[in-house]
Amino acid sequence: MSNPVNLTIDGKAVQAAPGTLLIDAAKQSGILIPAFCYYEGYSLQAACRMCLVEVEKFPKLQAACTLPVAEGMVVRTEAASAVQARKTTLEFLLTNHPLDCPVCDKGGECELQDMVFRYGAGESRFTEVKHHVDEKQWSPVVYYDAPRCILCYRCVRVCDEGMGVTALGITHRGAYSEITPNKGDHLNCDQCGACIDICPVGALTSGIYRYQTRPWEMEHVGTICTHCSDGCKTTLGVRNNEIVRGNNRDSTGINGEFLCIKGRYAFDFIKHEDRLQSPMVRRNGKLEEVSWAEAVKAVAARFAEIKAAGGAIGVAGSVHSTNEESYFLQKFARQGLGTPHIDHARSGDVPALIHALAGKTDALATADSLYHAKAVLVVDADLSQQHPFLAFQVRANVRHHQAAVYTVTRGPVREEQTAAKAVHTADYLAGVRGLGEDLKKHADLVIVFGDGIKGAAVGELVAFGDSLGIPVRYVCLVDYSNSRGAMDMGLLPELGPGYHPAAVRGMSLPQMAASQDLAALWVVGADPLAGGKRLASGKAFVVVQDLFLTDTAKQADVVLPSASAYEKSGTVTNVTGQIQRLKKGLNIMGAKPDLEIFGLIARAMGVDAGRAQNEAVFEEIRKSVRGYNVPLPVLATGGAAQAQPVNGRVDVLPDPELVRSAGDTLFTSGSLGRYSKILGSVMEAPGALYKG
Amino acid sequence: MAINQVFKSASAIVQGLGITFKEMMKPTVTEDYPDVPPVFQERFRGKHELQRDENGMEKCVACFLCAAACPADCIYIEAAENTDKVRISGGERYASVYNIDYTRCIFCGYCVEACPTDAITHGHGFELAAYDTAALIMRKEDMLVAVPPGARPPVIAEAAASHGH
Repeated sequence: MSNPVNLTIDGKAVQAAPGTLLIDAAKQSGILIPAFCYYEGYSLQAACRMCLVEVEKFPKLQAACTLPVAEGMVVRTEAASAVQARKTTLEFLLTNHPLDCPVCDKGGECELQDMVFRYGAGESRFTEVKHHVDEKQWSPVVYYDAPRCILCYRCVRVCDEGMGVTALGITHRGAYSEITPNKGDHLNCDQCGACIDICPVGALTSGIYRYQTRPWEMEHVGTICTHCSDGCKTTLGVRNNEIVRGNNRDSTGINGEFLCIKGRYAFDFIKHEDRLQSPMVRRNGKLEEVSWAEAVKAVAARFAEIKAAGGAIGVAGSVHSTNEESYFLQKFARQGLGTPHIDHARSGDVPALIHALAGKTDALATADSLYHAKAVLVVDADLSQQHPFLAFQVRANVRHHQAAVYTVTRGPVREEQTAAKAVHTADYLAGVRGLGEDLKKHADLVIVFGDGIKGAAVGELVAFGDSLGIPVRYVCLVDYSNSRGAMDMGLLPELGPGYHPAAVRGMSLPQMAASQDLAALWVVGADPLAGGKRLASGKAFVVVQDLFLTDTAKQADVVLPSASAYEKSGTVTNVTGQIQRLKKGLNIMGAKPDLEIFGLIARAMGVDAGRAQNEAVFEEIRKSVRGYNVPLPVLATGGAAQAQPVNGRVDVLPDPELVRSAGDTLFTSGSLGRYSKILGSVMEAPGALYKG
Repeated sequence: MAINQVFKSASAIVQGLGITFKEMMKPTVTEDYPDVPPVFQERFRGKHELQRDENGMEKCVACFLCAAACPADCIYIEAAENTDKVRISGGERYASVYNIDYTRCIFCGYCVEACPTDAITHGHGFELAAYDTAALIMRKEDMLVAVPPGARPPVIAEAAASHGH
């Protein structure tokens, strides 16, 4: 701290950096000044008048949220005049605020309730009739009850500054002011629900959680969102073995309070009526429900037969499974089944990036680097659509640190609104090279690239980064919650765990599908035959583990219902290589976690692939996968542990042609998204994904 | 010595019988339950009653405060939203499920005190014995009072209309 300012708050000597706001200085020294409109990270409003404090030598009370600290300042936050002012403010706030706390969704976690309890008057002196406006539904997820609104403008600011959407504004004046959506009577926005969570009262409420329960009735389970690869922590409110809401109000996790529509609302796929709840075996051409024991026996017997006959077994891993599951699957396949044919749906060329960065340290960016870097270059990605949290980090960086953003994309993206330079081209490398002179000016740079940069282009991009002469870090974008983990765990035909070349190079997914003599295909949480594709090998024994009867499952000989990420524990690795732990939120009838299923099959086959148990497998991962020797306490306490950059050449590089992003938008999420009614209920999307 | 004791005993008997005769003349306080229904003080805390308002709507808005206040954790509620078609309570929300587990209830009255809409009250029902503990988990229908005469709550009104009355 350069020349800290000395001041006294409530008799306590406090030091703060010059320019610090009084409310922040007080908070740093453990004194909480009440406020509604002030919100860390967003612009100042000074609308609510709750943070009034007495400052010596000032004739009137001062708003602590806009007053910078000054040398020798003497502040009394609980002076009689300040307390009286708060009481009066609250009395005004309650003139029109309905006292319907018993039915209000916010009741129990309402900031106005807490404030009135602490500072408010016991009785109201207003006898006038309250101004009533009917509640409005603005979108499938957002409801607005105007009389409850205290006009703190938090929602307006979070939508404008945080999300870059600016879908909310204020209409009318004075006591008749109302928050208004951008389309007059409805919202056309990201539907992220940030406005609902940030609302200090029950003015904005969630269409999903509405009137379901009360905050204290739920169990709060902090786990990781299972949709995109950003790895946001979402705290599920679970009651009666059902998820009733998702949010992250405790600000833990890499994402703070940020969540998009998927993290907040798209958990409803777990109770979709098409969810598989019983194993099925094909008999006389039809899939029939059988017991677990029978299904596992059928799989084990056939696998053992094929293995003994030396037939080719293909294994397709999942991009949603945990690291433990992916690791166990490839180990079981390679050692237990003796097959090298392992693959998954690849969406980013991480091996090529790791290879290109050989010898460099600290060259892989984290979610945090996007907030702190002086410059960010986005290549071939619509961040706001595909990686909403990374986009949020970039926006926050621009807002707080005036970072320079550059985009090289094929079409317009939201990041351009604040970009220093935006280039539209399909030749990404040429576009990037054109920005060389601009990028050199910055102290450091993070380059985020999508699937348009793969294979040799990754090496060229890194070479370009080297030529700038500034520290450059990289993020290779991948699609789903554990796409990165699937690669790190070696679900690749060419590479084993930690990007070590596999002993034998196996077939990739398209090769398996085209192979005439594939004897079996074991599909775990993937849909390689989507769209009615058929295996070239007509005799292949197909086993599918999935939540739903996918196109592949419809062709399967055995279907095993598996548990979703919200129904199991384990670890996942996000797009920036941060490992976080899943926490089981609920039980689902009939389904089993993939790891348990692998264990059952291994036991029935009499194969020793190690203990199929999360802790045991993760211990093995820590010992044997490069970069995964992370401190366990960090994971155990719900933190994110950075997988240390793998610092070395990757001797065999996978075929870049197989790297293809699914191009999900904010409102699609692969096959999970198809079973989420809430994602499907959003009719308007703010600009489709530019990528075709 | 012996004579003395005889007199002492006799006088004690007379004294005791005197009280007996005196009490015999007074009106009786013992109640003739079960032949005659018992009389309760108004404040007696018996089996709960879920009240209706003057229109016959349920007063309960499923705020869960009774469940939160309950020290025995015996109240279980599921909430649902009133719609134009199904309107059960006066507020936006009503209790679609409201159970009290009388194997746990200690009749402390905290739920009644916590209720912001005076929906739950203690009635005077006390004959709660059952052969089966499952029968002691009372549902909303077991506790809800009858619709006041003359009132036509919306759901009932609709049912009546659809039956052509």
